[in-house]
Amino acid sequence: MIRPLARVVYFARTALRGIAATPGTALVATGTIAVALVLVGAFGLLVINMQELLHRVGDAVQVTAFLEQGLGDAEREALRQRAAALEGVAQVHLVSEDEALIRFRNGVGRGFALDEALGSNPLPASLELTLVEQAQTAAALERVAQAVSALPGVVDIATGADWIEGYLRALALVRGLAIGLGVILALATTLIVSNTIRLAVLSRRDELSILTLVGASRAFVNTPFLIEGALQGAAGAAFAWLLLYALFRLVLPGFEFGLELVLGGLAPRFFDPVETAWLCGGGTALGLLGSAIAVASESRP
Amino acid sequence: MSAGVGRPGRWRGHPAGASPRPVSGEAAAQLFHVSKSYLAGTYALRDVTLEFARGELVFLTGPSGAGKTSLLRLLFAAERPSEGQIVVLGRNVSRLSPRSVPALRRRIGVVFQDFKLLARRTVEENVALALDVVGTPRRAARARVFAILKQVGLQHRRYQSPLSLSGGEQQRVAIARALINEPEILLADEPTGNLDPDLTLEIMDLIAETATRGTTVVVATHDQSILQRFRKRTVRLEGGRIAEDRPAPGAGV
Repeated sequence: MIRPLARVVYFARTALRGIAATPGTALVATGTIAVALVLVGAFGLLVINMQELLHRVGDAVQVTAFLEQGLGDAEREALRQRAAALEGVAQVHLVSEDEALIRFRNGVGRGFALDEALGSNPLPASLELTLVEQAQTAAALERVAQAVSALPGVVDIATGADWIEGYLRALALVRGLAIGLGVILALATTLIVSNTIRLAVLSRRDELSILTLVGASRAFVNTPFLIEGALQGAAGAAFAWLLLYALFRLVLPGFEFGLELVLGGLAPRFFDPVETAWLCGGGTALGLLGSAIAVASESRP
Repeated sequence: MSAGVGRPGRWRGHPAGASPRPVSGEAAAQLFHVSKSYLAGTYALRDVTLEFARGELVFLTGPSGAGKTSLLRLLFAAERPSEGQIVVLGRNVSRLSPRSVPALRRRIGVVFQDFKLLARRTVEENVALALDVVGTPRRAARARVFAILKQVGLQHRRYQSPLSLSGGEQQRVAIARALINEPEILLADEPTGNLDPDLTLEIMDLIAETATRGTTVVVATHDQSILQRFRKRTVRLEGGRIAEDRPAPGAGV
């Protein structure tokens, strides 16, 4: 009777023995996977952080409608209610001239008093329209801006539409590059891993022929090689994660200006546990795929 | 146990051209008009009809190229016949799917002239390979390996590399590996070809003893001293055909 646990132990032992028998080729496969994943992982990190920024900005995507001077409280409230009724608007906040001045002071610094310099507060009152999630696109932003500007008492409009559109384009470009690079590297890595596993298969041909002789099935013969490939892939992914983490912690802070340009004030973040699992899973899958191709071609009659 | 040619209701084999006789249901392996050709028009085996009874010790003999090895390879399904049918342990090898071959091989032990041992593994690990294949837990496997190595007198050598053993010892390890799963058939292809006369007898005694425990043993050899000493059924092949199927002396005729 065949005992599954004994088989698992045998497969694991044989795979580890295989790696130990050909450490050079195992190292090449692991290193290749690690390098590929570092490159793809770096792009992945950039995409993740750019998306994060977009998400945070999205929460604050708003249209600012500057109001005519001299409007009374009742007129302002009526305008606020009309703006709130527009399609795609989540809420509207009325910012008085005084509140605008306080924000300006807080933003610029306590030492600078605009009203004292000019003799009066030059900032107008405004309505800040926050959009519902579905309307947080450049096109929807433009529609809401047009509708608000048509309201009587609104003299000017400010939106971040141009910036968002540009940023989305940049994000799409980075994402496209990451996917393209990922595909090319995955193909190259698979090829290298499959060749290293093929070498391992050839170096153990005598053992495989004896196993076949004593009644081993093809699956029994091939499984240790698949495990070997998967282990190399997982190890490559672990190295890649460590290298990326070291670069993230030690090297990235040196590129403050570039970070500011791409991510604004957002503090970049590293992979979360789910993303880390994807990275490791990707490495394991690459190793597995490479070894599957190797054993399939080597066991062909 | 060896059964005789001509026993009523039983057919053992026939020289080329002779008419086949009935086959019993006790056979471990049967070949029906089997031919094996590697190149068009060149036959390694030609129209071989033969039966091996359970528990029988049979010698296949004949000059080099007579077809002994081809016959053994057909029996453990390393190859398929070009013509004819082969039934081994109730399975028709000619129609066996590749998936079913390993299950059949687990019931057959094979010993070669060149031992086929792994130099990078210990004696114990070499023998345990056959147990790994059937998923025997490690502890149980070690106990069984110890027992079979004791049987062949090599338990004290179990942690050594096969390279440190003599030819006779290496063949005993190979026999231990072939026997550890208690096969129903043991095939040996020139098992003493690389051994001196003393070791030859030692190894052949070991193999012959297996037949007394109910295993069908088929030994390919061209060593006449073995045939004279053991005096068992002998099938002589020539040019791929059965030239003679001589029963063991004293078997019923």
